[in-house]
Amino acid sequence: MAESYTPPVHGTGLRATVQKFGAFLAGMVMPNIGAFIAWGLITALFIETGWLPNEELAELVNPTITYLLPILIGYTGGRTVHGQRGAVIGAVATMGIIVGSDIPMFLGAMLIGPLAAFVLKQFDRLTNDRIRPGFEMLVENFSLGILGMGMAVLGRWVIGPVVSNVTEALGEGVEWLVDNDILPIASVIIEPAKVLFLNNAINHGVLGPLGVAESVETGKSILFMLETNPGPGLGVLLAYFLFGPRLLRPTVPAAAIIHFLGGIHEIYFPYILMKPRMILAAIAGGGSGILVFLAADVGLVSTPSPGSIFAYMSVTPRGNHLGVLAGIAISAGVSFLVGSVLLGFGRLEKDQPEPDEGGASGVTADVGASSASAPVSAGADGAVSHASAQSPSTTDSTPGLPKAGPAPRPAGSEA
Amino acid sequence: MATINAAEIRKIVVACDAGMGSSVMLASQLRKQLRKAGVTVEHSPVASVPADADVIVCHAGLADRVRSGNPDKPIVAVQVFLGDPAVTRLVAAVKDRGSIDV
Repeated sequence: MAESYTPPVHGTGLRATVQKFGAFLAGMVMPNIGAFIAWGLITALFIETGWLPNEELAELVNPTITYLLPILIGYTGGRTVHGQRGAVIGAVATMGIIVGSDIPMFLGAMLIGPLAAFVLKQFDRLTNDRIRPGFEMLVENFSLGILGMGMAVLGRWVIGPVVSNVTEALGEGVEWLVDNDILPIASVIIEPAKVLFLNNAINHGVLGPLGVAESVETGKSILFMLETNPGPGLGVLLAYFLFGPRLLRPTVPAAAIIHFLGGIHEIYFPYILMKPRMILAAIAGGGSGILVFLAADVGLVSTPSPGSIFAYMSVTPRGNHLGVLAGIAISAGVSFLVGSVLLGFGRLEKDQPEPDEGGASGVTADVGASSASAPVSAGADGAVSHASAQSPSTTDSTPGLPKAGPAPRPAGSEA
Repeated sequence: MATINAAEIRKIVVACDAGMGSSVMLASQLRKQLRKAGVTVEHSPVASVPADADVIVCHAGLADRVRSGNPDKPIVAVQVFLGDPAVTRLVAAVKDRGSIDV
């Protein structure tokens, strides 16, 4: 991680670059998820409308979201750039951003934390080996102190106001999408990006910080649910279980448990990548889920991470549980239905000569047919076809999967 | 494509985007299967794979990034997280001290 802030240019394509930047953003947030959960629980329990209203304990809510969480993010961002010294100056600089802002400065922290650490790194590189013996500690402490002060001032006067405006503008953009009932269309972008392993980047890098700003103001935000809804993935997996390639089906229940209860969504991405048109099922499911969330006017207090049903229930504010569950159930149902249609209700299987034992020819033909008949979904998203093009085994290995599928399946015991 | 001698594998690193989710899951499966083989299995974010890894396991969708950060390491790319043939091959090769194409 240390080098990824100023990565040497690798010619590895747009997807890798976007992934890398996204991972850098998410990498500042994800190690701190535990603190977000603590804040989410405190909020859900102790605020006036919570389960156990308590005025004294509710005093924790604002300082934690305003100071602690952004500072942790700035600290972690600094650490990834320049180790412990980077972490410290990242925290100092973040303080400059926080003070004088009336919204939680997550985006600002993600910006200034690594930036401050980068400045310090350059300075340290400059002075390296030039310090007289015995003066190292003096120089190191004061270089961090002085640069930290400078970055805090810069944050207070320049970066803070800019980021405030940007965050507010983005928030208003989202509000506009909500008001005009076109938020469900977000799924058209989110679901394909998700299965290309941009899930953390989208959720923790973009939606989470915006969601927190809204959640602090109104007590909840729908933005936390756009990417994390486990419904669409569950529907896709169920469709595979009933109508997918026959020899692949035994792997599905364990995957569904890990996905829905364990919250590791990555487990269902391969099932979409091997039949790219299945992304349509996920999009339909995600979109209808958002529609229900909007109609029921529900949201979450904080990011459910991992995207497990348990995490969902624990960050759902009081009174919103029914709407949240309904949205998840409906998105699972819709994506199951669309997925089943796309899989031809298993008909594609039966059309083939029934393979007896290990006769993968039927499956091979099916995969071939499906990739041929799915130019729309594959072509619509260049990156998807890129994904399968660059790893020819995406389709090639499918017939092989079933053989290996049922046999090892260690995860059955895992779950 | 390169053939490596599985007898020389001391440490397998499973990498995923954040190093917190799917890699942990896959690593714990591998660890269970290779318990008696004397091989260390770790997990890490794609961006900070430990330098002493002998083999890196990751999803095919992340292989580009792993390769760009670790150009000299053999990479086993998986398609699915449960029972992927590539993982099965790796486990078999390590157990039999055989060789494996990666």
